[in-house]
Amino acid sequence: MKTSGFSKFSAVLLAAALFQMFGMTASASAESADDNYKLYCVQCHGTAGTGKGINAPFLAVAPRNHSSAPDMSQLSDDNVALAIKEGGSAVGKSTQMPAWKSVLTDPEIHDIVKHLRKMCKCEYVKK
Amino acid sequence: MKIRGIATFLLALFLAVPSAFAADGAGVVKAGKCDSCHKMAGPTAKTIAEIKARKAPDLFYAGSKFNKDWLVGFLQNPTVIRPAGTVYLNNIKTTGDTDTATPPAKCASKLSAGDAAAAADYLMTLKDAKMKTGVAKIDAGFSKARAKMLIIKTEACNGCHEIEGKGGISCPTWEGIGKRLNPDWVYSFVSHPQYWDTKTWMAKRDLDEDAMQLIVNYIASQK
Repeated sequence: MKTSGFSKFSAVLLAAALFQMFGMTASASAESADDNYKLYCVQCHGTAGTGKGINAPFLAVAPRNHSSAPDMSQLSDDNVALAIKEGGSAVGKSTQMPAWKSVLTDPEIHDIVKHLRKMCKCEYVKK
Repeated sequence: MKIRGIATFLLALFLAVPSAFAADGAGVVKAGKCDSCHKMAGPTAKTIAEIKARKAPDLFYAGSKFNKDWLVGFLQNPTVIRPAGTVYLNNIKTTGDTDTATPPAKCASKLSAGDAAAAADYLMTLKDAKMKTGVAKIDAGFSKARAKMLIIKTEACNGCHEIEGKGGISCPTWEGIGKRLNPDWVYSFVSHPQYWDTKTWMAKRDLDEDAMQLIVNYIASQK
């Protein structure tokens, strides 16, 4: 009986540990590009990505229009990723665009760049 | 023996009264069902799905975040602090290609002066044990001009926050923010927003100590 009780206790501990591990894994998992875009980008760039978010009227420099193929095709994927990760100043643009490296991982930033390419329906055109 | 008995009684009374008072405040918070909108125990939201489900700010570190006098007033007469709601994303209305925000409702609770004081006492016990105190160096002679240059021109805090009547609406207004927030918490939050709210849409900025103190002092001055 004693051994059986101990085994039951061990099983509960093991289950709790697995649950904890699963929970930690889940919390550390990447968010979708769509969700990240909505939470972090939409406040300035807008739901449609046109640069007409709720904060846009109060910004000294208009947010980039992510739906514009002429504008977005001038930017390389690396340039866009750098702007997201390190902020606008890293690519010679406005400091109003903050660095999002504290909340977005490199793979998430990469996914957002792909998401932006879908929004503008364009690719980088090297000149 | 008689003196010892009186001393014991007084000690017991001294120990009992604060705990009874704290329990009363906890009771007010419980009766007011504050936990139906606010998280009263950690951890904070870890996923965007959890953020979207958030109805009101986390209160499990209220004692680190707020100034008690402000809490007492707010609990009696709640105001809107986040012009686009607790989670702006949930209040966006898109017309054509332009977003606007639906004004949020005020907190429905409105406590009596006595209940507000008791609830504030209780909320002030909810502290983050790791937060450093004494880090904000409040100096009445700080350079407001330098602070505004940093806040408006360099960091563009007004892109998301309403400052001196103008600015973005996705984040809390700075109107009266000096009354509302503990300067040490402001220092901590600005230094590392994600420590307090993993998925917050406030980006972490690399600021030196001089810049941190300018921001903290400017915020503390907004009363």
